[in-house]
Amino acid sequence: MKQRTLLSAALVVGLTLTAGCGSASGPDSTTGGSGDKLVVWDWKSGDAKAAAYVEKAKADFAKKHPGVAVEFVAQPFDQYYTLLGAAIQAGKGPDVVLFNGGGQIRDRAGALAPLDSYVADDRQRLAGWDAFTKDGKVYAAPVTLQGHPVYYNKDLYQKAGLDPDSPPRTWDDFVRNCGVITQKTGAKCLAQGNKEGYGIQFFLSATGSAVLTPQEYDDWIAGKRDWSLANVKRIFELWKQTADSGLNTDGANSTAMFNDAFALFNSGKAANVIGLMSDVGHWKDFAEFLTPEKLGVMRAPVVNPAAKPSLPFDGGIGYAVAKWTEDPKLAADLVRSLTSADALKAFYADGGAIASDSTIDVSSGGPAVKAIVTEVKEGKPALHVALSSKTLDLMGRLSQQLLSGSATVDDAVAQLAASDKTG
Amino acid sequence: MLVAPAVLIIVGLRLWPLVLGVNFSFTGDGDRDGVMVGLDNYVTLFADPLFRTALRNVGLLVLLLPVAVAIPGLLATFIYLRVPGHRVYRGVYFFPAVLSPVIVGAIFTLLLAFDGPLNGVLGGLGIGPVDWLGDPGVAFFVVVAVHVWATFGMALVVFLAGFATLDQSLLDAARVDGASFAQTVRHVIVPSLRRTIQFVVVTTMIGMLTSMFGLLYVMTSGGPEGSTYLPEYYIWIQQGRLNQPALASAASTALFGIMLVVGLAQIAILRRAAGEED
Repeated sequence: MKQRTLLSAALVVGLTLTAGCGSASGPDSTTGGSGDKLVVWDWKSGDAKAAAYVEKAKADFAKKHPGVAVEFVAQPFDQYYTLLGAAIQAGKGPDVVLFNGGGQIRDRAGALAPLDSYVADDRQRLAGWDAFTKDGKVYAAPVTLQGHPVYYNKDLYQKAGLDPDSPPRTWDDFVRNCGVITQKTGAKCLAQGNKEGYGIQFFLSATGSAVLTPQEYDDWIAGKRDWSLANVKRIFELWKQTADSGLNTDGANSTAMFNDAFALFNSGKAANVIGLMSDVGHWKDFAEFLTPEKLGVMRAPVVNPAAKPSLPFDGGIGYAVAKWTEDPKLAADLVRSLTSADALKAFYADGGAIASDSTIDVSSGGPAVKAIVTEVKEGKPALHVALSSKTLDLMGRLSQQLLSGSATVDDAVAQLAASDKTG
Repeated sequence: MLVAPAVLIIVGLRLWPLVLGVNFSFTGDGDRDGVMVGLDNYVTLFADPLFRTALRNVGLLVLLLPVAVAIPGLLATFIYLRVPGHRVYRGVYFFPAVLSPVIVGAIFTLLLAFDGPLNGVLGGLGIGPVDWLGDPGVAFFVVVAVHVWATFGMALVVFLAGFATLDQSLLDAARVDGASFAQTVRHVIVPSLRRTIQFVVVTTMIGMLTSMFGLLYVMTSGGPEGSTYLPEYYIWIQQGRLNQPALASAASTALFGIMLVVGLAQIAILRRAAGEED
């Protein structure tokens, strides 16, 4: 994390310098948009792990449009949406834009071109479209799937005398097992990082399907969110319980999820972690530390017998087309190349991501990734992704208050209901 | 004619963007983009507990200013009075001033982590661990302390320069009269260094109001519970994270107003200092 912060700081300085150069020598080099050149903004292409992916996508596009040059501009992720906000204000910038699914793209859909007519042929092959859809229109094609499996350290379960191959099925068993693990090995139950307020987002989505009834869950995703439901309140009570009964690793409110909390899980200081499927903090990262055999993935332990636990996932990142681009069809073709089967396969293999393409073979990736891909078929969109960035920001702060005991669950849920209503 | 370039640069690059920003703060966000909404943004702003926390923290910074000035002043006094090893201290004290806030923040995030070395030492002494960056009652003071640690070297150098003009015979006279250290500081050093102190007060205040962003960003991200927000950080979050540029403009305009008041007060202080010269 420290290294990434330093790195991105260096990148910002570099970018500031190059941005100055670009505007001095003519706007074309950074804003693109001319007929024979497309400019792509992302935070991935600078990463060595994404090199093969970018190559494959470029080659695919060059076959279809040999005369068109493509320039990838890798921005630092910390600054990405700030820089993009400036481009949107100016009404000019990149032609093709990488987005996170959910609030980040929906809040900015006004600056994007709908892609429905261009990507119709890909709809079956790729999963995760919902996260890039607003008011029935698709604004980006998914590259990866992002979700929140519950990972566990089989080694710690074994040391505590528990069967590592049959993880707890109910929340009570989960808590009871954790007690045994902490007593026998000293490891905490849950690696928790809520410094930026991500902990609660992961927790809400990972436990949601084990608390809400399927009907309540679907209503939430469809936008009919009733925060006064007893089961919604129950999720936040469980969150509070993780702090009150010492399930979390210490200092959760000052621990960054990326990557300090994940490091606690990697080093065996916690038996479970709610992680990600793609990018960082996922099966590939954990397996490098724990070895693939010792990394398990469990279904969310059941809290409410009427609930039907499922893997929460959405489209993770996807490419969109800016409204101001000259030829949307051309830009959309680039998006299709960026989501072609070959390119996505390279992304899965090198980058450690669950790709949106369900036809990719993952059998060589270890048991955890196989379990995740199996669960994808019955998975549902994650609860927190349906919320606006404003509500998520508020939820982050309230969740810290719940952990420190300076707010009550009733108060927190009431404030969230009010924020969710005003958008 | 001769002043035209200067005027054009000021108007074109300073005043015009300022006017645009203020104008923008009266328009709406999202669906109301570009629509004039009057004072709506300001109503939202001052109703937002987060922005009020940011303002309260600005007030705290002003209150903590004397401490931030006293520390380099006192240390400079020790160096001036040639405590053993004063040459080493001079170098050591100045060293953090050349580090970027991001690096300082990263170092202290590690040191102050819940399972970090500082809590380890405290634990060894039998004192329970403190969640330095995770306790809303403590975190802001910790960040300010780190900021003071990182920047007091510059003020120290200014103080040492001030000491160079100090009349040695006054100090000798005080010593002959049998004045204690505290009495020497209060009756000889402080009055003689009045102008230096005023200068350090002004520059330290500017430093605290304008360059805490890097530390906040790295050390607390505005948390825990939003307790370490400053207006700058609020503006950045509204613009970059929550995509509300008009609200961010309103906050910027409010911050500009605060800086204007602080700036005018500082000019008044400096004028008074210059007036006392005669």
